[in-house]
Amino acid sequence: MNSTVMKKTMYFFAVPALLFYCIFWIFPILKLFQYSITDFNGYAQNFKYVGLSNFKDLFEGGTLGNSIKNTLIYTAISVIAGNLIGLALALLLNQNIKGKGFYRSISYIPTLFSAIVVGFIWSYVYMPDSGMIATLFAKLGLPTDNLNFLGSYSSALYSIIFVEIWKNVGTTMIIFLAGLQTVPQDLLEAGKIDGCGTWKLLRFVKIPLLATSITINTTLSIINGLKAFDFPFIMTNGGPGDSTNTLIYSIYKMAFTEQMFGKASALGIISFFIIIVITAVTVLTMNKKEVSA
Amino acid sequence: MRKSKMKLAGILLTALLLVLMSACGSGNNAQNNVTATSTDGSANNDKPVTLTMMVSGTKAPDGQDFVLDIMPKLVKEKFPNVTLETSKLPDEQYFTSIRTKLASGQGPDIFWVFPRNASLGVLDMAKAGYAADLSDLTFWDNISQGAKEDMSYEGKPYGIAGGLDYLGVYYNQDLFKKAGVDALPQDWPSFLEACQKLKDAGITPITLADKDPWFIQFGMYQIASNVVYPDEMDFDTKLQAGEKSLTDSKWVETISRMKELYDKGYVVKNSLGLGSAQAAQLFVDGKAGMIFDGTWDFATLTAKGASDFTRGFFSLPANDPGQPTYVSAATAAGFALNAKSDNLSVAKEVMNYLFDGQSDLFKAWVDSNNSISVYKGVPLNHDLFKDVNDSYLNDGKSVYFPNQMWPTGVAEEMETKFAEIIGGKKTTPEKVTEAMDAKFKELWKK
Repeated sequence: MNSTVMKKTMYFFAVPALLFYCIFWIFPILKLFQYSITDFNGYAQNFKYVGLSNFKDLFEGGTLGNSIKNTLIYTAISVIAGNLIGLALALLLNQNIKGKGFYRSISYIPTLFSAIVVGFIWSYVYMPDSGMIATLFAKLGLPTDNLNFLGSYSSALYSIIFVEIWKNVGTTMIIFLAGLQTVPQDLLEAGKIDGCGTWKLLRFVKIPLLATSITINTTLSIINGLKAFDFPFIMTNGGPGDSTNTLIYSIYKMAFTEQMFGKASALGIISFFIIIVITAVTVLTMNKKEVSA
Repeated sequence: MRKSKMKLAGILLTALLLVLMSACGSGNNAQNNVTATSTDGSANNDKPVTLTMMVSGTKAPDGQDFVLDIMPKLVKEKFPNVTLETSKLPDEQYFTSIRTKLASGQGPDIFWVFPRNASLGVLDMAKAGYAADLSDLTFWDNISQGAKEDMSYEGKPYGIAGGLDYLGVYYNQDLFKKAGVDALPQDWPSFLEACQKLKDAGITPITLADKDPWFIQFGMYQIASNVVYPDEMDFDTKLQAGEKSLTDSKWVETISRMKELYDKGYVVKNSLGLGSAQAAQLFVDGKAGMIFDGTWDFATLTAKGASDFTRGFFSLPANDPGQPTYVSAATAAGFALNAKSDNLSVAKEVMNYLFDGQSDLFKAWVDSNNSISVYKGVPLNHDLFKDVNDSYLNDGKSVYFPNQMWPTGVAEEMETKFAEIIGGKKTTPEKVTEAMDAKFKELWKK
């Protein structure tokens, strides 16, 4: 009857945590599903059930497609570029150079600021005419006429992606650095004896052994990218037009500016599934490729 | 023995949990007890009452802030038993948090609402049952009729307007002189001509902060006042009734006129990359001749910049030659009281005291108010607005801000689509109005 491992009464100890989990996590999520089929406006409680028309509107309207497109671009670039730069930095700072600790700290500092601060600083860096980049260009005698990073349709999205990478590359680098410490010295020596150059050591020894770090970094940046909200919110308000509207930003705008909480809930559910599917697929594929030292 | 110990542990744990839960709830109970006793009584009896108040805006840059510092102190002096706890949040955060608070029944006793149908507008708040009917306040005779109406729902006032705001054009008189613009433009062609003169003199005619999308409204509504409304003041009523649509040729014309300013290069280059602080800086530094903005930004736009110059303020003359210029004027946001609060009667007494027309509290309120007062006998706060104010009072030619008659979301759609025009996309004015109309129809539910 009684388990040899644990008395059944011990389960009572899980009740408080479970309760909190249900009240503050499970219940709101279920509520989201409920709201997604209503015309709830966020504050008046006399809402009506409207069936699946919220979802229908979303699939017919342009917002969903546009924000998925922006989110995917955001994610793809920040994952690929972020990881490449992070890896390069880690390899560089893993060498025996003078002031290694100093450089490592410097590269990690942007991560420590809050997104609000970073976004604000970069708005001024990007500002046309009197921003940092424009001033620099003017000093170098380059034309500054068309420097309008956040204000032009073609560059706004990429400009915020750059900031995202700039802010997060420190974390990526630290994880790669930690990974590099676990590469056994004897394997590297064996490689050298077998005649590997720097490139071959990297390609055939270090990178395969870094597979775990790569999985972690990629997963983290994918989740980060798919959830992108802070920088569009702080730096561009989703603009110009809707060119930097990401999924999460669209949800926010729909719910709190347009007061269409019901429709926003529907969009929330759609993006919930998108994020789950993309993350699951990547993690599963990458797990298969990992090797152990 | 062991088993019973375990049981005991289980029971204890459950008990602990219950205590915890009830502790969370008892905060409310305690509060209810205090307030329940004071519901029937007035603020003058001795039961201590805590009133909460939340408004939107930013703290005064220097000295004492009316809402945060002065009001709690003066209320305490008059009603020793009333403690007023105030907080002030930037607009966006205020919108989000006040809705959540109201919806969860934790709304403050006094809060800030906007006229008519604007975001967090008095109509929505009254309809949802959050704002209280204020008909029995004592000072209504001293508030201008228009301001009272703008804060009314089904004929009863639900909010106390903070004042009146004008949209207009702040301009740099020195630059105007330098460019040879001697007389203020009186109609659209002469306005364009003035812009051209400024441009020819190497001066940026207009600075706008299009990176902050709402800024687009400041020019657009002034044009609409002169194009859409002059011979159809009930346009929005017809719109709501489904007899008119936003694709009307008059709205297309409004958007085209705004577009003209960009096409001809009168608006600062790269305006989509400028935030409101940055655009204002260009104006106060004397680098641009004009900025479209409202009376509420007086302090920012009259701050000392890199150059010293005389400012002026006029209504954007988007009218055709021979027609009068309409002023874009609207009732400013103001106080509402929480209908579900137990302290409603106390809050009403505080409001009666605040607007009694003579108390120190009233005087402090008048001093701190950036809007044009709608209270009888209060003089105009800034001479800069004298001309526009005179024309408003004497000619009576004014139009409210159109978004006050739209559901929230339509103005945002207009901003998004118009930004495409600014950004050089192929969007036409017709497309902008179509998008606005579609949004209006989606959101407008009777």
